[in-house]
Amino acid sequence: MKELKLMKGNEALAEASILAGADAYFGYPITPQSEVIEYLMAVKPFERTGMVVLQAESEIAAINMVYGAAGCGKRTLTSSSSPGISLMQEGLSYIAGAELPCVVVNVTRGGPGLGTIQPSQSDYFQAVKGGGHGDYKLITLAPATVQETVDYMKLAFELAFKYRNPVMILTDGIIGQMMEKVELFEQQPRITEEFDWATKGKKEGKEHVIITSLQLQSEQQEKVNLRLQAKYREVEKNEVRYVTHHCDEEIDYLIVAFGSCARIAQNAMDQARKKGIKIGLLRPQTLYPYPYDAINKLAGKVKGILTVEMNAGQMLEDVKLAVNGKTKVEFYGRFGGMIPSPDEILNAIENKLIGG
Amino acid sequence: MAKKGEVVINIERCKGCEVCMVACPNKVLALAKEVNAKGYHYAIMVSTDCNGCANCAVVCPDSVITVYREK
Repeated sequence: MKELKLMKGNEALAEASILAGADAYFGYPITPQSEVIEYLMAVKPFERTGMVVLQAESEIAAINMVYGAAGCGKRTLTSSSSPGISLMQEGLSYIAGAELPCVVVNVTRGGPGLGTIQPSQSDYFQAVKGGGHGDYKLITLAPATVQETVDYMKLAFELAFKYRNPVMILTDGIIGQMMEKVELFEQQPRITEEFDWATKGKKEGKEHVIITSLQLQSEQQEKVNLRLQAKYREVEKNEVRYVTHHCDEEIDYLIVAFGSCARIAQNAMDQARKKGIKIGLLRPQTLYPYPYDAINKLAGKVKGILTVEMNAGQMLEDVKLAVNGKTKVEFYGRFGGMIPSPDEILNAIENKLIGG
Repeated sequence: MAKKGEVVINIERCKGCEVCMVACPNKVLALAKEVNAKGYHYAIMVSTDCNGCANCAVVCPDSVITVYREK
């Protein structure tokens, strides 16, 4: 067995980025995400693996530095929290348009506006329904434990380079600030191979590599869009990930929740099962692509579904799309930095889902 | 007579999770109105009833609490 470590979510995430063989981190401190850049500056990966760590002058600068480094075919990442991620949206749209790989971590806090510094899941729409302009998608991973945060960092880089698309790790202030045991993976080598699409300097006999998201001719821009859409269909076919609890058994009801909220809901589910309520839980690990088919199949055999989120009902819309009217869908959420307790969720199960 | 204790909190490392407040049998700890550099309301001592049990220090996930016990 490998060595277990006790680490804070943000620090584990930073360590995982070094281990994943990242070439560069550009970021700007913001609570509750500041420990990422603090940890990276403290452990000096530029001496260990040669990874660049740089505090940009703003989030806008950080994402554009990521754009530049990604254009050179390097593994790059940035991290921020909700208001900072909002500032990055233009850059993210450009990166998606230019089809470059990068990883963006959002340690979500309560909004809107500057909001609070306590955890929330209210950036779901921003992450999976766009955020920036244009028809683009971010592959979105939602970890529920510190261990998953570490594992997803490696996965995120793999997916980003497989599809040449930005990948977002949508975590929140709970997981970022939580201390948990983690098993770190082995140090991955930094990328040394040269990608054909990357700007490495023009060699004799080779075509110019041009990285841009600008196409002034509509015919060309439509072709870009068609290529992107074909890529997204491929992602939707291959990369759907989710976990289920008790869903193989005979169940009457189902909870759908993601991230840290799913762990609270799991506790509520266990309490409900002790009371004799046949209930299961489905937790999407990828929010884009979303497990529509899995939820649709389960919707056929349950009497009702409860969606639990730390927002005013954002993933609820995707659950409703997946269910497509097959069964009733109820919602329970707390927002603005408040966290639902297992008792509150149990109450919602008994009164909204069963009694309602 | 019950022993006396004193809680010292490293306020810059505190994230205001309130776990210590729940663990304290005498309700000695509360969150400050002020915030630290990161913006978190940090834990402070609000009464002199500390008995030095150190429950708060044991449960603190960030080890920011030190308890001094009267001999």
